Amino acid sequence: MDSPEKSLHSPMPIDDAEELILRWDSTASEDAREKMIFESHRDEIDRYLRAVDELHRSMSSVSLSEGGGGGGGGDEQGDKVSSTVQIAMARLEDEFRNILLSHTSPLEADSLTTESSSSVHSSISSADGAEVHLYVDDDSTHKGLDLSSDEVKAESSRRSSISYRSTSSIREIDLVPSEAVYDLRCIAERMISCGYLRECVQVYGSVRKSAVDASFRRLGFEKLSIGDIQRLEWDALEVKIRRWIRAAKACIRVLFASEKKLCEEIFYGIGTKIEDACFMETVKGPALQLFNFAEAISISRRSPEKLFKILDLHDALMDLIPDIDVVFQCKSAESIRVQAAEILSRLGEAARGILSEFENAVLREPSQVPVPGGTIHPLTRYVMNYISLISDYKLTLSGLIVSKPSTGSRYSGDPTIPDMEFAEFEGKSPLALHLIWIIVILQFNLEGKSKHYRDNSLAHLFMMNNVHYIVQKVKGSPELREMIGDDYLRKMTGKFRQLATSYQRATWVSVLYCLRDEGLHASGGFSSGVSRNALRERFKAFNAMFDEVHRTQATWLVPDPQLREELRISISEKLIPAYRSFLGRFRSHIESGRHPENYIKYSVEDLETAVLDFFEGYPVSQHLRRRSH
Amino acid sequence: MPATTEYQGSSFLGRISIRRNQVVSMDGHHEQELEDLDLFQRNIADRFSELLSARPPTDGGDGGGDSSSSAASADAPFLSVAWLRKLLDVFLCCEAEFKAFLIMGRERDPSVIAKPPLDRLLPELLDRAVKALDVCNAVMHGVDAVRHCQKLSEIAVAALEQQPIGEGQARRAKKALGSMLALLAAEDKDSSGHKSTERTWSFGRRGGSAVTNKDRSAAAQFRTLTWGVSKNWSASKQIQAMSANLVVPRGAEASGLALPVYIMGAITVFVMSALVAAIPCQERSGLAMHLQVPKQFGWAQPMTALAEKIGEEWKRKEKRGMAGLMEELQRMERLGQALAEFADPFQYPAEGERAEEAAARAAELAETCRRMEEGLVPLQMQIREVFHRIVRSRSEVLDVLDQAGKLSAPTL
Repeated sequence: MDSPEKSLHSPMPIDDAEELILRWDSTASEDAREKMIFESHRDEIDRYLRAVDELHRSMSSVSLSEGGGGGGGGDEQGDKVSSTVQIAMARLEDEFRNILLSHTSPLEADSLTTESSSSVHSSISSADGAEVHLYVDDDSTHKGLDLSSDEVKAESSRRSSISYRSTSSIREIDLVPSEAVYDLRCIAERMISCGYLRECVQVYGSVRKSAVDASFRRLGFEKLSIGDIQRLEWDALEVKIRRWIRAAKACIRVLFASEKKLCEEIFYGIGTKIEDACFMETVKGPALQLFNFAEAISISRRSPEKLFKILDLHDALMDLIPDIDVVFQCKSAESIRVQAAEILSRLGEAARGILSEFENAVLREPSQVPVPGGTIHPLTRYVMNYISLISDYKLTLSGLIVSKPSTGSRYSGDPTIPDMEFAEFEGKSPLALHLIWIIVILQFNLEGKSKHYRDNSLAHLFMMNNVHYIVQKVKGSPELREMIGDDYLRKMTGKFRQLATSYQRATWVSVLYCLRDEGLHASGGFSSGVSRNALRERFKAFNAMFDEVHRTQATWLVPDPQLREELRISISEKLIPAYRSFLGRFRSHIESGRHPENYIKYSVEDLETAVLDFFEGYPVSQHLRRRSH
Repeated sequence: MPATTEYQGSSFLGRISIRRNQVVSMDGHHEQELEDLDLFQRNIADRFSELLSARPPTDGGDGGGDSSSSAASADAPFLSVAWLRKLLDVFLCCEAEFKAFLIMGRERDPSVIAKPPLDRLLPELLDRAVKALDVCNAVMHGVDAVRHCQKLSEIAVAALEQQPIGEGQARRAKKALGSMLALLAAEDKDSSGHKSTERTWSFGRRGGSAVTNKDRSAAAQFRTLTWGVSKNWSASKQIQAMSANLVVPRGAEASGLALPVYIMGAITVFVMSALVAAIPCQERSGLAMHLQVPKQFGWAQPMTALAEKIGEEWKRKEKRGMAGLMEELQRMERLGQALAEFADPFQYPAEGERAEEAAARAAELAETCRRMEEGLVPLQMQIREVFHRIVRSRSEVLDVLDQAGKLSAPTL
């Protein structure tokens, strides 16, 4: 039981042993109450432990010689020994508690959460107040469990050095310096062999539990009920989730792992799985509380803004699961492992639920007030930002989203759900299909909104802007582009070009119609036969129409500068040559009459300048002012 | 789950799954619905009647305990661990049938979810579920506390089982019992509000010095560590809030899903309050066990009778002061006090009658510990199962609501 060196000592006479134990009976003398054995000289400690061993040996021999019969004389002697043993055990229990208590200052929170090399130079104080250095010397990593050897004692006399530069993997800290661990193990061995296992476990649990709890709270975990968490505003919860992720890593990988190591160092090999019982006794409460938070999040009401934090939580937990399985590998911790796995799957379920909830919301988003100027709808921005964030979580979500979206199809005949034929998207992952589906329903919803514009041209412009924005957003994110695929992107590009054409047709066909030749020639004659009246009406009509278009469409918006430029060029390309040639052919007819300025309001250059006002989103008068600067 | 099988034999669920695949005419629906509802309620009535028929706990006192352990496993006296496990079984069965109702109701007509009264009742149900989850957690911790007491009692048993009991062992038993009783006192103090720091705990007087300051502080420490919820969380308020919006549907509302939702609500409130009364739990002052269930329901009678029985016990508890109504826990408390008195002014050797009495009590305490050892871990697992079931139902209801588009529209 002891080191071979000590067993060389001659056995202690039983009377001496009893006397020594009674001398340290704290109920008997003031002196014994004040002083602690394990704070006195090493020789005294060793003597006391040998006395207990001696007593234990004689106790077993008494009960052996008695058999089961129980004779009168032996009883009294047996009782005396057993009573002395009890005194010794009560003493050892106090000593055990005292050693534990003197090493229970909680771990520093910042030391637990040290994540990166940025804090390499900081040193932190460990449980016993010793300086702890962040870099390990190699020999401190091979802490064997054979603590009874002198080598361990020698090593333990040095300061404990540990390393936990990051919490990306399990990193055990020496919560209790090894010489104290050695003492604790000596006591535990005696208590357990004398049948005081339960007391030993009780004392260990009660002291360590409060130490773990203090460290746990230092990590920033609060006591919140599931109801509390449901009531919190999402903003507040987001902060807590972020904090939880950081703290949970430290909690599992440093705090719990170190507790487990301590249990093993003290109890391993003494009895059957005592270290497991002690470990669970100490950490069960905090562990349940730790998981309770994630549990509460996993069952909270689903709304789109929660997706990404829930995915963060999911990723963090998934990352932790292998370490949870290691730290809680014992049989009695099975429920904790199971719970962690359940929460993980529930978080996945929540993510799936939120995505489908998001799709539903995109489809049904009810706002009807048209955005002024036909610019990009807030919904479009929201949805596109949302799905580019989704693409950032591609890795996680690909694992979670395994079924195709529930779409409408050509045959469903439901007018409230758009069609989407999967045949077009063969080989796409379910996640990609969901993203495409979201874009499909977004456009579907926008088309509904576009019907609320009274001006058909503006409806086309609105759709053009929004589809263009969608395309740009997809192109801007490589992840998203890869998932959506170039085929669909081409289709969408074709679509907004088509919308641009539709816009031009809706606005400009009637304007350009004023510039046609037909109907100007009186009785089908030659140039001389131009009807001046008809011509004057034409110019007036053109002027009025262009005025109107200029005035209204200057306030419309094409926020993308390149698209705006292209659209203006396209307008100019149709308008300017037509006007120039119309003017060329008929100017003389007007100028030869009276008040030509009433009919030819615009020079070609005027029109070219006016087109530059289009789609800037300002009334014309402001343009004039702006231009004059 | 091991024990749930006894009720699942009923063909209810089986029939549902078959019928879901059939095309039933519209008229058939309503009739079928009434029939299902009737069966649902009859099952509940049967289950609660069986719970009610549990024999009262033998008042241990001098009877030496009913160590006729062969029958003990089949038998589950009122409020014993075994009875509580039966209670949870009942909850799980009712819950499964209720969920079947929900699924069927939705399949019949998905739009009902978004219409009154369900548009109000379902969110209330969700809210009640969250409260029930917190009760489950609190009760889980409570069982941990009971287990702690059990471990301490086992020390006392180990010491007192020595023949004859020597002075050392008597001291050992006294110490363990002192800690155990201090712990229970702390649990009780905690659970009946913070009205006084020095409550009417009788042990201090009777046990003299047995409860040392160290034990007290250790117990207090243990207590604050146990609860996973914030300080101002109150089990009784929680129960109260759960039953606050529980109203019997009337008139047109009484058809369809509203009634099953109400019934399940009543069952949940009853089961949760029974757990809170039986197991140490944070802040239980003013715990109300009277359930306002209209007599017209067949299941109302046994449920109300049970609630009244527990309520009476609870009143006694509040007068006497104890940690919880769990039969084994009360027994442990009573035996612990008696044995602590025996062990405190201990004279060696203990004379005949006292020694015999103590030996009998120690044996009864040992038997109580054994029953706890057998029952508490499964009880915890079952509470956990209840927790899971509520979580799962909650997410399913959330799904249903999502599909009905009720929660979705305005959030973007």
